[in-house]
Amino acid sequence: MTVNNTQKKRARSPSVLTKLAAFAVWSPLPVKLSAMIWGLGQLIYGQITKGLMLLAAFAGVLWFFISRGFRDIAGFFTLGTVRENLWLGVPGDNSMRMLILGLFSLFALGFAFTVWYTNVKDAAFTARRVERGKKPRSFRESAAALADGKFHAAALTVPVIGVAIFSILPIVFMILIAFTNMGGEIVHPALAEWSLSAWNKILSFGKVGATFVKILGWNAEWAIASTAVNFFGGLLLALLLNKKNVRGSKIWRAFPIIAYAVPGFISMLGFKFMFSQSGPVNQMLTASGRGAIFFLSNVESAKWWARGIGLFVYAWISTPSIMLMTTGILSNISADLYEAASIDGATPFKQFTKITLPFVVFSLTPVLISQFVGNFNNFGIFFFLRGGLQSNYADYFLASDTDLLINWLYNLSVNNNYYSIGAAISLMIFVITGVCSLAVYVNSKAYKSEDTFR
Amino acid sequence: MTAAHRVRPRRIVDDTLTYTALIIVSLIFAFPAVWLALASFSKSGDLFSFSGFFPKEYSVNTFRELFTNDVNGLYPYGKWFMNTLYVAAASSLLGTLLVILTGYVMSRFEFKGRAGLKKATLLLGIFPGFMGMTAIFIIFAQLGLLNRLEALILLYAGTAPLGYLVQKGYFDSVPASINEAARIDGATQLTIFTRITLPLSKPMIVYTALTTFAWPWSDCLLPQLLLKQRESWTVAVGLYNMPDQQFARFAAGSVFIAVPIVILYFCLVKYIVGGLTAGAVKE
Repeated sequence: MTVNNTQKKRARSPSVLTKLAAFAVWSPLPVKLSAMIWGLGQLIYGQITKGLMLLAAFAGVLWFFISRGFRDIAGFFTLGTVRENLWLGVPGDNSMRMLILGLFSLFALGFAFTVWYTNVKDAAFTARRVERGKKPRSFRESAAALADGKFHAAALTVPVIGVAIFSILPIVFMILIAFTNMGGEIVHPALAEWSLSAWNKILSFGKVGATFVKILGWNAEWAIASTAVNFFGGLLLALLLNKKNVRGSKIWRAFPIIAYAVPGFISMLGFKFMFSQSGPVNQMLTASGRGAIFFLSNVESAKWWARGIGLFVYAWISTPSIMLMTTGILSNISADLYEAASIDGATPFKQFTKITLPFVVFSLTPVLISQFVGNFNNFGIFFFLRGGLQSNYADYFLASDTDLLINWLYNLSVNNNYYSIGAAISLMIFVITGVCSLAVYVNSKAYKSEDTFR
Repeated sequence: MTAAHRVRPRRIVDDTLTYTALIIVSLIFAFPAVWLALASFSKSGDLFSFSGFFPKEYSVNTFRELFTNDVNGLYPYGKWFMNTLYVAAASSLLGTLLVILTGYVMSRFEFKGRAGLKKATLLLGIFPGFMGMTAIFIIFAQLGLLNRLEALILLYAGTAPLGYLVQKGYFDSVPASINEAARIDGATQLTIFTRITLPLSKPMIVYTALTTFAWPWSDCLLPQLLLKQRESWTVAVGLYNMPDQQFARFAAGSVFIAVPIVILYFCLVKYIVGGLTAGAVKE
């Protein structure tokens, strides 16, 4: 086995090297010049506009990396060496800033490398054309070729850069933060360093670890309960509206659609007012002689009230969408099935459990699992209902008894500067939801029929 | 006939049960909406001044005050509304272009790295959206874009291409033979995209423009994170920060931005259901 592997390696690695060596030997001088100074080769071939553009880009990249880029990359590894000293007027390093700027410079380095590679490839392409006795492409021809032959690359550049900066960079940043000791007492001007302290805190039996276990348990309960309520609620709604003796089902259907169409945060805030301390529900309770109930307030007795109201509000907002989907699915079940079943003497209940339910469950499984993941990370519901509660419950570390992991993470990192613990929790969430999503994706039809080109 | 006679009493029971259930369900769904709508016409603003669920006296004054009286700059709803409109319209314009391009390219082109891109977007989808919140805050602070609406536009439009799957599915279902014919006639890819694909995909463009518009229109969390000054808030952040004493103002503000969206949904309910299932259930 090992011999085989090394043989393979030996057989493969020289081929790349020899290719590179061959390229270095074969390539004419302008290509080599382009590899050193972008655009020089293009200029020699008479492609003035393109050459100047590349040259300008080269100057820009050089300026960026010499003026700050290389320093930022070094800062990425040290996370700061000079502590702020106000007496001596030393400004000091800011670890958080250095981490993100270093990361940005590393991304920029990757981008610069891509441009360099494209530039060498372009010069080599022109060199081959010249060898074959053709003229180098004019700028207009190059642009046309880019818009045509490389249309996909040209079209995807902006989306890829946008996603890289606004989605990938923040995520990578958070992953890295999880392996530093940033946050808590270590915020600017204190200097941070790379460490595993956040993981120690979560996985040990301290207050943070205890809170993690408690919230994880409630989070799992919430995800299961809300998905189940949502599914059965939506299914019952659809079945009710689909009954043969319902007249004007379009009008009846309009009511759930209103609930679906109102922006979610408005519904949630509306319910917050409805159940607030001076809200109408409590007014009616006091008017009828019973005392007011703290439904969503910052007290321990509100725990199950708030959880229950959260479940109800969630169902109010999202069962209509399941209803709409299920209605579509129900119309796809062939009527022959029911006819055959009733001829065989199956009761309506039997027809429901043996035909309708399996069919709907089968069609909705992917939706349900992605909803399960969404519910697991349902940030909004308790954030809006309880107004982003900041309470310090006795046995919770900076969390309340309705918080899901994602709320806790927000509290920790955005409101209380516990960056590294928050980041470590978000990595845990990623692993949990990632396993669920991956399982769904691998089992989905879309994946199995992948790349059967249509 | 006899069979029908025997069934009738059972049918009456069934009908009454069905319609009772329907009425209860409709009440549950309609009541909160009606409650908010009526509250927006309340004469007094405080939640506590209502008699139970409903206002004691009605007037349209709250709607007028919403735009004319901002209580010493505390609730400049008109400003918030224009901010929201600006952010949503600009994000929709940019985002639609990017998503349509991405969906089209991912559907029609075979190139190196396509499978890699697909897997990368899938992986990114698994990360909780909030994970990068702190980082986003720090990045925009570094760029000097805090309290700037442009930061939100960049964020919404920049991350929109991650949701390209619905658009890709649409282009997958449009036959590629027209493209091939045009290609044989010597059309470049750019011409095909602008002259053939875009005009043919109007329904998809409308759907994309609406969804990319509706998200910033009703998002509260990113603006809450990035906009710290009251006058640069969007409507959602403003409504989030309204206390019990300003309940009528909250209701009026909500009604004002929810009604256009509700009407839109009713017109488009068919397409939206298609979009809901498109990502998950394929064929």
